[in-house]
Amino acid sequence: MSFARFIIKRSLQGIFVVWGVVTVVFLLRFSTPGDPITFIAPLDASPELRQRIAEELGLNQPLYVQYFDYLTGLLTGDMGYSYISGTEAATRIFARVPATVELAVAATVVAIVISIPLGVISATRRHEPADYAATTFSLAGISTPNFWLGIMLVLVFAVQLNFLPTSRRPVGIVQAVEVLVLSGNYAGIVLWLQHITLPAITLGTYFTALVTRLTRSGMLDELGKSYVDAARAKGLPETLVRYKHALRNTLIPVITVLGLQLGTLIGGAVITEAVFAWPGLGTLVINSINTRDWPLIQGCLIVIGSSFVFVNIAVDALYAYVNPQVVYD
Amino acid sequence: MDEILRVRDLKTRFFTEEGQVNAVESVSFDVRDGEIFGIVGESGSGKSVTALSVIDLIESPGRVTGGEVWYRNADLADEFREKRSEAVDGDFVDLRRLPKGVRRSLRGPSFSMVFQDPMSSLNPSITVGEQIAEAVEVQRRARANPRSTRSRTQGYGLGKYLVDSIVPGREYTSTESKERAIELLEQVGIPDPEARAEEYPHQFSGGMLQRAMIAQALAGEPDILVADEPTTALDVTIQAQILNLLRDLQREQDMSIIMITHDLGVIARMCDRVGVMYAGQIVERGTLGDIFENPVHPYTEGLLGSIPDLEDPSPRLSPIEGNVPSLLDSEMGGRCYFADRCPNAMEACLNSIPEYDTDSGEVVGDGANAEAVHTARCVLATREFDAAEALGDDYFGDRAEASDPETPDDAAEQEVVSDA
Repeated sequence: MSFARFIIKRSLQGIFVVWGVVTVVFLLRFSTPGDPITFIAPLDASPELRQRIAEELGLNQPLYVQYFDYLTGLLTGDMGYSYISGTEAATRIFARVPATVELAVAATVVAIVISIPLGVISATRRHEPADYAATTFSLAGISTPNFWLGIMLVLVFAVQLNFLPTSRRPVGIVQAVEVLVLSGNYAGIVLWLQHITLPAITLGTYFTALVTRLTRSGMLDELGKSYVDAARAKGLPETLVRYKHALRNTLIPVITVLGLQLGTLIGGAVITEAVFAWPGLGTLVINSINTRDWPLIQGCLIVIGSSFVFVNIAVDALYAYVNPQVVYD
Repeated sequence: MDEILRVRDLKTRFFTEEGQVNAVESVSFDVRDGEIFGIVGESGSGKSVTALSVIDLIESPGRVTGGEVWYRNADLADEFREKRSEAVDGDFVDLRRLPKGVRRSLRGPSFSMVFQDPMSSLNPSITVGEQIAEAVEVQRRARANPRSTRSRTQGYGLGKYLVDSIVPGREYTSTESKERAIELLEQVGIPDPEARAEEYPHQFSGGMLQRAMIAQALAGEPDILVADEPTTALDVTIQAQILNLLRDLQREQDMSIIMITHDLGVIARMCDRVGVMYAGQIVERGTLGDIFENPVHPYTEGLLGSIPDLEDPSPRLSPIEGNVPSLLDSEMGGRCYFADRCPNAMEACLNSIPEYDTDSGEVVGDGANAEAVHTARCVLATREFDAAEALGDDYFGDRAEASDPETPDDAAEQEVVSDA
């Protein structure tokens, strides 16, 4: 089937992109000043010790040997050993992935659930109070900086109202669901919801505002087209005219933006993660940059880059599903 | 033949930032059972808006501000005879005075519409079959609930739609409707309708798509089909096919068609009676013979003069000088709107002109002389042109210039040509 072929083709292309990411990330280390051994070895290390560390890490090998070692390592899931933290880089990185994915998906869900209805209401009640409220909200949302919003939400909902926790992630969604299924205890889910609400809103606000605007203008555009008149002329209920006909076409560009944004959320939640002490990839990248922990930096960047590629393939597939005019070749 | 539709003194306004636009200004006409009534005019003359006003599809910032639309429907007349006696006259009901829900429920079984550009008039992301099936389904559901006209289109809210689209096997369109859609596609001459029903609009050619559009419009078996420039976007060879199809269907189903076009060739080929529109008014109406053989209004004559004649090819056509006037209320005076372009403008044309019966020369309107067959909004219907009263060539000089830049699009599109 052509759709399956389309997916396979895009995946093969994706592999090349990921390879490119790996190469750039690998070369990054050699283009930045500073010798990694300086950060690993004790300050008063003798030249012999430094030499031994270099040999152990393979840093004395020619560049291409190091590159192929790194590549073959990656293929077996080995991202190198992080001397500074004293663990395998891959172990540390993949321990952080669930938190980041959870937050990105939660923010996207918040955005979709709020922005699409809001955009539709705004477009169908153009120049009415509801429309002005939605437009004002989206303007405010686009212009509010993340860190400020996060801190304000914490001050109001956590500190003043004592309504939600200020920070941290005591439980992951997977564990929480596991507990719920196995023992029927829903306390874990509640705890998870309490902790993710503020970060998800913080991270999702800009996104919500953006998609609200997109939906509003797209919907206004679609409602002005003559197929909408035709749908009304044949007597279709207004619900179907709006949601089945106009909204469907509005969502085509919205899906593209959603996908691109979900990709950025995975890598770009650094500030939000910092504000809420959220143990995700963003904080890990920052920390490892501060300590020049190269295996961790490289590993994080590769994971972020690969998920960006993966999300884009998924979005392309979804796009092809929603828009029948896409030709798979 | 009886009338199915009587439009009286219809007025539609658009409230734009530049001011009020009088797109339709006191339009009256009748449509009879099983006839094709043509409305012809230049772009921007208000012919589409007239049709949209009749079937209540005018969108904000536009609004139908006055007039009556009497539609013959014995059932509706009985239903409202007690409740709203002012909206009922014999078997006729005045659509403008009926509740909105009732008017809406008439879309499909009473009125339907074929639009100009089939490519943009079908939803690009829904299969053609599904779109036709929807139109069938609306009427199927309405028949299942015949007691209340109001419940026909209402009562299908967002919640129901969400449930229907999420739960498998609960789609809006039923299998029967889908089968009926395939029958309709076959009826309008689409080969292999079962396979084509599964295709999307972009997989159709323009002519096939217009056939599908017609199938969709026929789904509710309408009494009146409005065809708004149904062939303008198509190749000349396809145009004839579509026109023939429309006429065959009209005869088979015994429906009436309101044919809107700028093409006098289409009018000559299809219509029984014709209304000529200019600047939001019907300036002349009558039978095909009245209009083509015996036109009274200089605008009608001008239109006919701009058709190339194959028998006697003269080196140049005679176009109508000038442009369609701006329809902004503030710029429309109480005069014949064509006077500034009219070769026979006289002092009498500076007053607003009522419709005259061209035979008797009497005024038509307010129920008087309503049966008049050939009418014209022109003083020439009552008297001969008198050169002594003629307005000078430069009488409207400054005015015509002032309205020029307002409507550049109209100027580009104003030619009225025939390909028949």
